[in-house]
Amino acid sequence: MKYFLLLLAMLSGAAHAETRFFTPGSLQTILADRAGKPFILSLWSNACAHCPAELKNLGELARKHPGVDIVLVATDTPDEAQQLEKLAQSYGLGKTEQWVFADPQPEKLRFEIDRRWYGELPRTYFFNAKHRREGHSGVIPLERLESWAGEHVK
Amino acid sequence: MVRQLTSLAIACLISGAAVAHDHAAHQAPKRDYAKVWLENQEKAPRLAVAASFDPAGRLWRVQTVGKHLKLSSSDDGGAHFSAPLTVNREPELISSDGEARPQIAIVGQRIYLSWTQALPQPFAGHIRFAVSQDGGHSFSDPITVNDDTRPITHRFNAMLADQQGVTLSWIDKRDGADRAEYRGAAIYTARSTDGGRSFEANRKLEDHSCECCRIGMASDRDGTPVILWRQIFGRNIRDFALARLGEPLRRVSEDDWKIDACPHHGGAIAIDVEGTRHIVWFTGAEKSPGPHYRRIDGQQMSSPMPFGNLDAQAGHPAVAVSGNEVTLVWREFDGSANRIMSMRSTNRGTDWSAPSILASTRGAADYPQLIRGQGGLWLIWNTAEDGFKAMRVGT
Repeated sequence: MKYFLLLLAMLSGAAHAETRFFTPGSLQTILADRAGKPFILSLWSNACAHCPAELKNLGELARKHPGVDIVLVATDTPDEAQQLEKLAQSYGLGKTEQWVFADPQPEKLRFEIDRRWYGELPRTYFFNAKHRREGHSGVIPLERLESWAGEHVK
Repeated sequence: MVRQLTSLAIACLISGAAVAHDHAAHQAPKRDYAKVWLENQEKAPRLAVAASFDPAGRLWRVQTVGKHLKLSSSDDGGAHFSAPLTVNREPELISSDGEARPQIAIVGQRIYLSWTQALPQPFAGHIRFAVSQDGGHSFSDPITVNDDTRPITHRFNAMLADQQGVTLSWIDKRDGADRAEYRGAAIYTARSTDGGRSFEANRKLEDHSCECCRIGMASDRDGTPVILWRQIFGRNIRDFALARLGEPLRRVSEDDWKIDACPHHGGAIAIDVEGTRHIVWFTGAEKSPGPHYRRIDGQQMSSPMPFGNLDAQAGHPAVAVSGNEVTLVWREFDGSANRIMSMRSTNRGTDWSAPSILASTRGAADYPQLIRGQGGLWLIWNTAEDGFKAMRVGT
């Protein structure tokens, strides 16, 4: 019965996205899915001390600007997918598209995303509608996220 | 409907514990973060090893297997290793990935080991230590060296030992545990002068270190430990500081890397017979990102020399010095292979050779380390597909 109630709680709760595995080529998939549309690509990890603050800001952004397209990519491992989903959900990002690194060599995936990204987290890329991107390391202040949303999202 | 839900519930039961865990997550996000952290520690890849030669030229290697630290030795320069000895009889989680690694130091018949025990709480750990007084045949029961034992950050242990004693340094959040406004963590140290049987009280070297980069240590000419770490200057400039044990810090990089992030990318230090410090470090600052080298002679600091291929993730450098010869090694990834690169100076870091490739592997890999033994300089590098490498690379 306990599990039955649990299940009900899960079903009635916010549906959360199925985490996809980020492998070589995934960035192209993410871009192709959003041709002509601006979005925020946010890289994070459950082992990063500054990432909860980043998730909190992104969650707040999603709440205030539901039209903002955020893609979360965790640099952890596929077996952590479910826990990562829960973490994201706890910051109000349950409906956000989520990916998790799925390669024994994270450096390979970093290389594909940005050769000049050294692995520091959180790492955020703002893509405009033409998919020109701007990369930032470190927690992005909510005001910065909101001003980007105001500029790029109708 | 109810029946369908029930069968769904049973299906979920089969997938078992995950559902029960998830429930906790709904109610308490913070606890869930803790659970993820703990499980991560249990499963993390264990590529990060440490190695040291003893005075007889035998190579000792320590690595984490499951919840145990294992020590083994090699009489043929790392080609073959003995059956491993289990250091900690009681299992515990041991941080050994990325820049967190166990440490080994050998002085005569004494083998000192230190490591960070990962705790269930996020980013929390204890600094652990064990010593063998009999050349690695047996070890003391591990002790916790940090005298603040709350489940908070005491991590990234570094260790330095000589005939006078053994010094540990680590990143410690005790001063910020109850103060949200406290910037970063602190560097704490502890010293033993009785061969590792006991430690003096913990001492704070400096407030406001960065939270998750390895610490570099080397002996000054008089034996005093010199410590290099990433410090938070101002509100959030994460550049490097250097201090002799018990003395004030000196800022040794002016990159002005302003960042609220975890670089997971520290520095290393070697000191020559004249007391000159040779340091390498990493910065992501836009004006000159990547690894850098600098020589510090008293008050004189050479201009930072960037090295490594920025388009190949050059990073995690090590440095060694012998006489006038300075050796740098670092890791690069070219899209398909991890490789260890090297540059050498024969005039104390003034002029440098072109970079050369010392080793490469197509799989996952540890960061490179430089150690001395058998009258030479050795590269130590652990790889997932090509095993453990010990290569003599200089004098």
